[in-house]
Amino acid sequence: MKKTIQSIVLMVIISSSIVACTKSDTAALMPVTAVTVKDIPADTVVGLSAQGIPITNGKYTFYSLERNTIVPNTDSASTKWDIAFMATKIITNGGTSGTGLGGAFVYTGLFDALTTIPTDSVFKTDNAPTSYAITTGSGKGWYNYDGLTNLITPLAGRVLVIKTATGKYAKMEVLCYYKGGVTLLATATDADKLNKQRYYTFRFAYQPNGTKTF
Amino acid sequence: MQGDSVVVTANRSERKLSNVTVPVNIINAKQIQQTGALRLTDILKEQPGLTLTSGFGAGVQLQGLNPDYTIILINGEPLVGRTAGVLDLNRVALGNIKKIEIVKGPSSSLYGSEAMAGVINIITDANTNIPLQATLRYGTYQTLDAGINNAIATKSVFYQGFYNYFSTDGYSIRPNSSSRVTTPIQRYSVNQQLTLNLNDHTNIALGVRLTAEKIKNDISVNNGGATITSSGNENNTDQNFTFSFNQKYANYLKTSFRGYFTEYNAKQDLVTLSGDPYYDLLNHRFQRVENQTDWTANKNLNVLFGAGAVWEGVKSTRYDSEKVRKNNYIQYGFTQLEWNPIQKLIVIGGVRFDKNEAYASALSPKLSALYKINTKHKIKLSIGEGFKAPDFRQIYLDFTNAAAGGYSVFGTAQAQEVINQLLQKGQIGALYDSYYKLKVLKPEYSTGVHFSWDYEPNTNNFFSVQIFRNDINNLIQVQQVGAYATGAQIFSYLNIGRAFTQGIELEAKHKIDNHIIISGGYQYVETGDKDQIDQIKAGKVYTRDANGYSKILTLSDYVGLPNNSKHKVQFKINYSHANGFFANVRIMYRSKWAVNNTNGNEVFDNGDEFAKGYFSLHTSIGKDFKPGFSTQLGCDNITNYIDAANLPNLPGRTFYATIKYQIFHK
Repeated sequence: MKKTIQSIVLMVIISSSIVACTKSDTAALMPVTAVTVKDIPADTVVGLSAQGIPITNGKYTFYSLERNTIVPNTDSASTKWDIAFMATKIITNGGTSGTGLGGAFVYTGLFDALTTIPTDSVFKTDNAPTSYAITTGSGKGWYNYDGLTNLITPLAGRVLVIKTATGKYAKMEVLCYYKGGVTLLATATDADKLNKQRYYTFRFAYQPNGTKTF
Repeated sequence: MQGDSVVVTANRSERKLSNVTVPVNIINAKQIQQTGALRLTDILKEQPGLTLTSGFGAGVQLQGLNPDYTIILINGEPLVGRTAGVLDLNRVALGNIKKIEIVKGPSSSLYGSEAMAGVINIITDANTNIPLQATLRYGTYQTLDAGINNAIATKSVFYQGFYNYFSTDGYSIRPNSSSRVTTPIQRYSVNQQLTLNLNDHTNIALGVRLTAEKIKNDISVNNGGATITSSGNENNTDQNFTFSFNQKYANYLKTSFRGYFTEYNAKQDLVTLSGDPYYDLLNHRFQRVENQTDWTANKNLNVLFGAGAVWEGVKSTRYDSEKVRKNNYIQYGFTQLEWNPIQKLIVIGGVRFDKNEAYASALSPKLSALYKINTKHKIKLSIGEGFKAPDFRQIYLDFTNAAAGGYSVFGTAQAQEVINQLLQKGQIGALYDSYYKLKVLKPEYSTGVHFSWDYEPNTNNFFSVQIFRNDINNLIQVQQVGAYATGAQIFSYLNIGRAFTQGIELEAKHKIDNHIIISGGYQYVETGDKDQIDQIKAGKVYTRDANGYSKILTLSDYVGLPNNSKHKVQFKINYSHANGFFANVRIMYRSKWAVNNTNGNEVFDNGDEFAKGYFSLHTSIGKDFKPGFSTQLGCDNITNYIDAANLPNLPGRTFYATIKYQIFHK
């Protein structure tokens, strides 16, 4: 708790002294700016089978945190992407998932308060299908699934700390799993729950200079 | 103003309301009739401090505590057959009810398990002189209620019968939806009571109560995105048999032996659209013998003592085998001293001990006092322990959900054994600390303190304030105890939760003239999970701000337990005339309540999804003609307030008309 307050204070001091942001790779002590990305599809539902089972393409959406853009699937075997999404699963470009140096861990705390990745942190890598750097499953990694309402909500106070394909660091917070950036109400129709799911809204901060500070 | 009716539930013995030391509300037959209530739910929803809940049938929440924690009695004998802790109160028809007594506060010192929030005792009419009466009511959604009451009363034989048929087409308050919020229902109820007065000192009473219901089920279950629709019927039966032998030795000593057998059987027999059967069974049997002796030691001291035994068992498709009944055997004894040292003061102390075979024993003391300051002012204070036995499912559940990732839930009776076997087969991936904490479940306990002040300045006015606090320990919660090698979770139950409810209840009644009485009530209730509050205070709980960004949750944004409204208001105007005409208007308000955790933490806070607060307005008019003929017209939910998702038990505006005819009117 005390630590958190200290970091918040530190962050406020730093951010109040800086107004503009920079994309320069050489900005050694410049804090990075958080960017919010909306509605990144993650293997969305494309139809229903004759038995009423939802059909998807079963493909990841690859994303580059460095360039803040979706990476085509044809580049999946490269270091052009850092993270990829498929339904609730988020993989990183390393281990069994990719050719890069990527890894991640789930940090409990506030996004803004995480100004330095703690030195004792351990970045895990994907080891499909048994374990993933960003733990899968309800209540374990970044989300909670409510079996009564069939809704996915991102857990509050979880920061995904990412090591990118090229060995840089980033932090991200998933804000929403539904199209439009607002979690559906429990009373939403089944059709909406089916078709508006699997759209990620998240914010992230990417540190291009290779340090563990944000 | 309050009248001095007789109360039996507070002391397990007849007492004048003015001498009862705990908070009691009485609903009499006239109130039931004039509000047009058919089922127990209809009348309870208009009572101060009570809130109806939906999900697994209509249950009742008392002073912020869930339906699991209130015992429902019919003539002192408990109703059984709870699904997920909820007794569906629609099972109880009100046609032959004399009164309903509601005792608030832990009462396990007299009633044992479940009497933690309070006791609702439904007392059937034991002294009617109406030989034959027929009632017919028809209303919106083709809701039909037909009843016959008959009675024979002589000096030595008393017989009363009640037959009721209820059916409704159900209703769909969601536009363009084929699934109905309330599906078509047919219910039959038969009650028979026979009392033989052998002589002035001895009587024997026999009672039979049967209810059968058929509920049409069209269920759509969303399973991993696929919607599975099944249809069929749910058939529920509820049978109760009572026997009592009452002997009065002298004016100062009487004793009664009571026997009770009840069985609730609920069977869901469905077929999915693709032809697969879906079958779910719950059968709960409860048998009890009991003796109670009332002894008036002297004019200042009444002593009551009793003892009994219960054989109880449940069969369910959710246990390892639906063929094998899981049993519990309870032996109990209780005593109560009622001391009246001076005219103005009554002090009652009581204690009960329940020895259980399937779970830990329970000791429930209670102390209460009434002090009559003067003819106008009266104060009551009570402190008591309440307990609730673990559910059979918490002990015996053996459930593996193959569809949703293969997670399992094991009751505590076999959790360790089953997990051990799985371990030897190499199927266990991890065992958590919580696994090693598994042990025989203890009952859930609450300590309740109730203080009330009644003020009755004259016969036209009545005012009362009640303050209460309940602290609940040992709450039984589902906890992950391990994981399969596949990663699928394994759950069991542990006594870990702590919670509280506290609040204030105000009631007022004013008689304007011989015709008009207005009455009102207001309740404020706060609830909370103590462990969650500790976590919030430690800054370990997060929520989201308007941007969706995580922030630390502060205690001021914490709302406590779900499904709890902080504010409730009831306001009623009753008009009655000596010529038999009556009319009433009833307005109810319930403030918003949290229904769904939407912002990604485990607690309910202001950022979560709430059901909107709402008003409902009801009215009825009627006239009693002589001889023995009466009519009534009513409209419930006049403003047509609908919230299909959160209030499935509240249909839109409904109308009804009732006629009642006493065929052989005396």
